[in-house]
Formats: sequence, structure tokens, C-alpha cells
Amino acid sequence: MSAILLVAIPLLAAFISILAKKFAPYLLIVVGLFNFVILFLLPDGFVIIGGFEQPLGINLLLDTYSRIALLLINGLIVIITFLNLGKYDKYASIILLAMASLNGLVLTNDLFNLFVFLEISGIAAYLITTSNKRPLKTFHYLIIGAVGSSLFLFGVVILYSMFGTLNMVDLIQKIQAVDNYDQLILPFILMFIGLGVETKLLPFNSWVKGVLGKSNTFSGPMIGGVYAAAFGFVLGRYITNVFVFEGNLLLVVTVLLCLGIIIGEAMAYSSSKAREILLFSSVAQASIVAILFVNGIILWAVYYIVAAALSKTVLFLVINKATKDKGSDELNDLQGLFVDNKVVGLAYTLITLSVMGLPLLVGFVVKINFLTELAIADQIWMIIVILVASVVEGIYFVRMLIKLWYKGDNEISVKYNLSFKIVFVVIALAFLVFGSYKAPLTSLDNSIDTVMEVVDNG
Amino acid sequence: MIQYAAIILFVFGLYGLLTQRNIIKMIISLNIMEIGLFIFIISIGFVYDGVAPIISSVSETGLLFVDPLPQALVLTAIVIGVGTTALALAFAKSIHNKYQTFSLDEMEEQL
Repeated sequence: MSAILLVAIPLLAAFISILAKKFAPYLLIVVGLFNFVILFLLPDGFVIIGGFEQPLGINLLLDTYSRIALLLINGLIVIITFLNLGKYDKYASIILLAMASLNGLVLTNDLFNLFVFLEISGIAAYLITTSNKRPLKTFHYLIIGAVGSSLFLFGVVILYSMFGTLNMVDLIQKIQAVDNYDQLILPFILMFIGLGVETKLLPFNSWVKGVLGKSNTFSGPMIGGVYAAAFGFVLGRYITNVFVFEGNLLLVVTVLLCLGIIIGEAMAYSSSKAREILLFSSVAQASIVAILFVNGIILWAVYYIVAAALSKTVLFLVINKATKDKGSDELNDLQGLFVDNKVVGLAYTLITLSVMGLPLLVGFVVKINFLTELAIADQIWMIIVILVASVVEGIYFVRMLIKLWYKGDNEISVKYNLSFKIVFVVIALAFLVFGSYKAPLTSLDNSIDTVMEVVDNG
Repeated sequence: MIQYAAIILFVFGLYGLLTQRNIIKMIISLNIMEIGLFIFIISIGFVYDGVAPIISSVSETGLLFVDPLPQALVLTAIVIGVGTTALALAFAKSIHNKYQTFSLDEMEEQL
């Protein structure tokens, strides 16, 4: 068995699903589960495609880093599809396409191949957001996404003209031999912008409000959870291994990312709409992830992405279901949501407290560890920015929780299915368990990303 | 020289995207930008006096070939570009069905 199946089978299933539309969602769930299971069986290492050895052919790299990403992506897609069975069935073919392209994005070791997957996943994302019934917002997303991927391709082509290779490992080896760093700045900036658009980094994230601010139980978790996680992993891989941020470029990137955290949290604080609070919180989280990768804190950045993806999936599901039933996402209109939904409320509260970073929850473990590593790296200003952001986050999330738990003047009746409740409770319990029992988390280290190991060993 | 032309075309397209308030014109701007990029990609494979990179039994040895990889890349990029444009036009149609206009200004007035 080969890791190429993770891309090929969803792609084949996407074509089959068009012929058998009735069974498409079930096919999607089966393919997702198949991918999830074979990820435990596939060995680590490179997958050479077509018999072309490196650096000539396209190849895929499966290591612990990509395995965690793939488990998360495929697992979340299965969960989201299962919870939306019967509601968004016509999107099953598109989700299969998204699954194939996101798996390919995480696995590929070829820069042009990455661009192709970037575009395919982008096209799938635009189609997913059509479920919001806001064509103008989707169009804006398409334009920004197309510009971003064009800039990414521009950067890739400049690197190819300089080094004559598209293979990531080969490219890193050649970049290491470069003595004139200035000539690398332009392609790195172009590629960073290209990936930054999809990762929701400031100032390339103007599409987010239009897309996630009007999302539903399907598009919200898909774009805010699955896509954010996948692109977080890809950006992390490139920041850690390919991009060389030094001197003024490092300063500019760091300031931009810190601004992303501050502005994201400030916008979330000033918003009175539940969906906007969640999406601006996601923007700040994306910047934190990028800052961690820039500082070489790989392991805790990975856990942060996983925790953010799971938490945002649950939070968007809860809020978007309530918004659909109530017809508004204003916090005042959703007041008292959890009075009759105590199980959902408890799970939501636990997950929100974890996002804020309260002790005994996984968010605290992740935050305290990456803050410690930032302190060791002498990045005091970043620690201050993240701590201030956490305080602001705490204020708006507590304000949100108070609104949702205490009954107001308006009547609200939202019914969550048993399947929703089970997913919420399982994820909340996982946050509680891994928050108290940290051994599995600390058993890994930054070497989960093996690209540099491969580069060093030639 | 052709690379400067490609970059100018790319910048024209980007300028159009930033300034145009009509959806169809925005899609055209996106295409102009992409064409600039495609020409740039092709240009990096160009070799002066180079011939097509086809090896046959009658090829002379020592021939100078152009780089075939950018040509392969640009073919893929064009296909993806066509896909994106088709999708953008489909969205433009649904926007027109909803607002009866392609102008962003007129849409904002309706909102």
C-alpha cells in the first residue's frame, strides 16, 4: 500500500460519486474512513511516483508531521459529513475533491504539484462556500484566492529559474549553498503571500468575514476547521524548511503576524455576532501558528493547529446550527441557548475554556509549553502579545458564555441531534483528558518534521 | 526583455483587479494577470538559438535545447486558469441572477 492512495482513491470516488449521486455521501464517509485507517498502516518515507527518482519526478513524503495532519483532515471531513447527512448531500463530490487535494497538499514534496493542489483545493473551497448562498462573497473569495495562488506560482517559478529544481528537498539543499540571501527575498515573499491568503493571515484575509461570517453547519467547520488546519500544516512545513526569514524580512513578517494577533482579537472583542467572534478568533490563531513555526516551535504549533481545528469545528457547528434555527447570529438573539441544551453547553464551555488556555484543558498545556519555548528563545515581546491576546480572548469568550448560559427576554429553541451531542462531548472529553494526562503529547518532539533530516542526510 | 513585458502584463491585471468595479472586467483582469504569469513561466525556459527538446534517431548531437519543463508547467497552469475562470463566470451568472447587474456599486446600492 502506498500513500498515493490517499489522493487517488478520493479522486476516483469523486468521479464515481457523480454517477451515483444518491450514494455519494456514504461513499465519502467510506473513503474518509479508509484513508483514516490506512494512515495507521502506511510506513514513513518517500513515495516515488512513476519510477522517476528524486529530484526528477514528483514524490510524496509521509512522516509523523504529515500523518498527524492527514488524520486530522480525513477524520474531521468524515465527522462533518456524517453530521450533515441529508442536508448538503449534493456537495459530496466536491468534498471528495477537497479531500484528495488537501491530502495531496500535505503530502507533496514538489512545489509545482503543491500549486496544483492549492488551486484544486481552492476551487473545492469556493464551491463549498456556495452553500452560504452569498455568491458575491464567494466571488470575492475566488478572486483573492486566485491572486494568492498566482503569486505563489510566481514565487515557485522564480525559485525554479534560480535553482533549476522544483523538488523541495533538493531546493532546500541548493538554498543552503546560496551566499547572497537578498535574491531569495522576493520568491519567499510571493510564496508566503500565496499561502497566507488561504491560511487567513493578515492582511491577506479580507475574504474571511464574507465567507465564515455567513457560514452554515457545513461550510463553517469545513473552511474554519479543515481548511485552516491543512493550510496551517503546509505553511508550517514551508516556514520551517524552505523559507529563510532573516534580518529585515524576519522583522516585517514578525510584526505582520503580531498585528494579525492583535487585530484579530480586537475585532473579535468588538463584534456582537457569534460567527464573527469565532472567525476573528481563527484569524488570530492562524497568526499564532505562523509565529510558532517562524520560531522553530514545531511540535506545539502542530498541537495548537489540531486543538484549534477541533475546537473551531465544534464552535462553528454549535453556533451555525443555532443561527440557522434562530435566524440570527447576534449574541443578544442567541441569549439562553444553553438553558435547554445543557450537554451541548457544557461541551461548548469546556472547549471555549480550552481555547482561552485555562488549566486542566489541552489549550493550557499547549500554550504554557509554547510560551516556555518562546521564553527560551528570548522572544519576550511575542510572549507579551500572546498573553495580552489571551486576556482579550478570555474577556470576549466569557462574555459570550454568559450570554449563552443565562436566559434573556427572547425565546430560543434549538434542538441538537444526538450525533451532534456525541461529537461535541467526545471532543470536549478529549480536551479534558489530554489536558490532565500530558504524557502522550510530550512523547514527541520537533523531529516529527523529517524534511531537514532528509536534507542533512543527502 | 520578454520577462519585463510579462511582469508589466501581470501588474496591469493586478491593477485592473484592484480598480475595476464590474465583475466581468474583474474576471478579464484576472485572466490578463494569469497570461502575464504564463508568459513569464515560458520565458524562463527560453534558450537563445535553442531548438524544441525532441530527441529522435536523426537528431544531431550537441544541439541546444530549450527547457521543456516550463512548457509542461504552463500547460497545467493554463488548464487550472481556465477552470478558475469558468467557475468565476458561473458565480458571475448567479450574482447577476440575484442582483440583475454586474456592477459592484449598483449591488451595494441594493444592499
